[in-house]
Amino acid sequence: MTTRSTRSPRRRTVVALAVVLAVLAGFIVRLIDIQVVNADEHVSDSLDHAFAGSQTLYGARGSIVDENRQTLAGSILLYDCQLDPLLITQIDEDVLAGKSSARLWAAVSEDVAAITGQTPEDVRSIVEAALAENPDSRFAYLKKRVTTEQFRALVDLNTPYIVCLQHPARAYPDGAVAGNLVGFVGSDGAPLEGLEQSQDSCLAATDGKRVYQKGKDGVVIPGTERVEPATGGGTLQLTINRDLQWYLQQLIAEQTQNMGAQSGAILVYEVETGKVRAAAEYPTVDPNDVAATEVADRASRIFRNQFEPGSTFKALTAATVIDAGGQTPHSTVVVSGSETFPNGARVRDSFQHPAYEYTLTGVLIDSSNAGISKFSETVSPQTRYDYLRAFGIGSGTDSSYPSEASGLLYPANEWGAQTTYNTSFGQALTTTMPELARAYGAIANDGMLMPLSIVESCTLADGTVIEPERAEPTRVISESTSAQMRQMLENVFLQAPYAKNVEIPGYRVAGKTGTGEKSDGNGGYKSGVYYTTMVGFAPADDPEYVVVVTLDEPTKVTSSAANAPAFQKAMTQVLKTYRVMPSTTAPELLPKFG
Amino acid sequence: MSTIANALATPTPSVAPIPARSGAPDRRLRLVETPARRRRPKLLYGIVAVLGAFLIAGAQMVLSIMTTQGSYELAELTQEQRALTYQKQILYDDVAGLSSPQYLAANAAALGMVIDESPSYLRLSDGAILGASQVALGSSSVDAIGRGAVPNALIADTPLVTVPDATIDGLPVEVVETPAVDGGVSNTPPPLTDGLPTPSTH
Repeated sequence: MTTRSTRSPRRRTVVALAVVLAVLAGFIVRLIDIQVVNADEHVSDSLDHAFAGSQTLYGARGSIVDENRQTLAGSILLYDCQLDPLLITQIDEDVLAGKSSARLWAAVSEDVAAITGQTPEDVRSIVEAALAENPDSRFAYLKKRVTTEQFRALVDLNTPYIVCLQHPARAYPDGAVAGNLVGFVGSDGAPLEGLEQSQDSCLAATDGKRVYQKGKDGVVIPGTERVEPATGGGTLQLTINRDLQWYLQQLIAEQTQNMGAQSGAILVYEVETGKVRAAAEYPTVDPNDVAATEVADRASRIFRNQFEPGSTFKALTAATVIDAGGQTPHSTVVVSGSETFPNGARVRDSFQHPAYEYTLTGVLIDSSNAGISKFSETVSPQTRYDYLRAFGIGSGTDSSYPSEASGLLYPANEWGAQTTYNTSFGQALTTTMPELARAYGAIANDGMLMPLSIVESCTLADGTVIEPERAEPTRVISESTSAQMRQMLENVFLQAPYAKNVEIPGYRVAGKTGTGEKSDGNGGYKSGVYYTTMVGFAPADDPEYVVVVTLDEPTKVTSSAANAPAFQKAMTQVLKTYRVMPSTTAPELLPKFG
Repeated sequence: MSTIANALATPTPSVAPIPARSGAPDRRLRLVETPARRRRPKLLYGIVAVLGAFLIAGAQMVLSIMTTQGSYELAELTQEQRALTYQKQILYDDVAGLSSPQYLAANAAALGMVIDESPSYLRLSDGAILGASQVALGSSSVDAIGRGAVPNALIADTPLVTVPDATIDGLPVEVVETPAVDGGVSNTPPPLTDGLPTPSTH
């Protein structure tokens, strides 16, 4: 209808504008609805419906390196390859019907087998087995964990029915070198043992994701790609020196076999820093082939075993009586081969002898149980307990090795008559190799006990360096006690029957042996077999390294003399590795008898 | 309609009834010129607008082509990068374990090298020789090749560089073949290489 109002051009303009604006507003509302309110839903819809592609970006698990940043554990990629049995039969049918020029599975399977190292029969039987179970089967594993080279060769066969998926894995370039410490991961990548397990928070990577749309030819459509980058794991640096570690592993393996022992271990501890430079043992695990090792040998005995130390603890008792009992290396006691004490306890030496007037040095040289028992009377049992605790016995270390054992030390008020004396020569208590090395380190290090560590630091992907928390160094004995102890222990290695076997030409070496009894599991001791220990440090005048050698039940030589060749070679190698200069001073000989 | 009809019906005076003045001719010229001036800019603007539109469309097309081209190039380079990554992985797998201490030691030991015991040092300040100053006596402190005890599955089958038919597990045991004579029994007993044979009992 034509009215007066519509006839006016101005009003017409207003109405047209209003209509346009209304339509525009409608569009804007819809636009906001699509782009803002329901944006996420539509984006995910579009990715589902369009030629969407997405890809998991695997972050590499961090590597474990030694003192000199040589790789002990690194990440590699392996591939799990699978077959499509149904497609294989379909293609074969097409070929036989003349519809396809592809090669027959019978021929292709020969090539596949040659690549994967299986036999052609094996490869064909995988397909046959899958089809027998389900005639429409579209999935069967050809082989898991194939290498990149094999994977590329399989891809080059250009067959549509072989698909390989990435499988991040670990490689340990040095094999069993430090395998006991590094540990290993399972086939699914989960850390199972050693530092791989305990330091997983440092090593683990965060996977990323790449989402995109692609054209028909597989090219990513510009502007549709969204990437959440993967973050690699941190680098874990150990205090271990891998070359030294290898030598000591080879050495302890030979010595364990030579002595007919069940197992053996060598621990190298740096006196000034408390860092473990090598922790070698035999038998041990090759993390590349965990299945080849007995279950009991897959972890570190050094850090998981506790044992009754025996005579190596006489040095700790001697340090206590010098520091708190007013004794000196020249103090004497009169003891015979067997002594009965006022409280009824009876202590025997390992060899028969008449009453000798032993100096404290002499007691250590001849390793007299009765002698050190008499000396231990100069301080109270509680004082000896306190000193053992201060030496770190029974408290474990900060090594970061998972499930590390600690020694067992009962409080002094629970010590019976016999235990009171037995603890002075290392019986009725247990310790671990790291505890023993650290205690001798304190004797050597002017009386300062340094925390023991095998982890140097963790460097995260962004460059942050995290150092593990370590206890503060503590003073155990005075500097003068430490000096006297060093002198006495050097005399032990100069005057003991095995002196020739532990001599290192040009160097001054100090130490002590221990022959620990082993429990037979019924409250008694095993007869004739021992847990033998030799612990020492060099150079005696300015100690730099403590070396502990243990053998479990050596049979060729059952006493701690069995450890002498291993100790001598191990210490020599340590001094060589760290370029420790030969001594230029001569040792002072101390009298054995008063 | 009626308005227009009225306008047409009314005769327009052909001559202005106003008497001629001195300024009258000027006004008439201006009236003619003014529409001409308006028309010319309209055309120019139109051309500019159309050209601009074409230019924008063209630029957009060029940009779009370049982006597309770029994404193809990107895809190509990604492909190349992937191939190189595979190559790197293959090479890494190939050399894995070759730097391990046991491989190095086995190679050296196969050449007859020994690990010497005590070292000696020459002190530069006074020329003194520190240490035992002994020669290596030809025996190694550990037997890296004969008794290799630190396994490494990565190089278990990798031949040594120095002795190609040996691995870190040791030198090959020499197999002495005893040729059988035409189905008959060889009349010489096989040589004993490893002591008297002992029955293995459990």
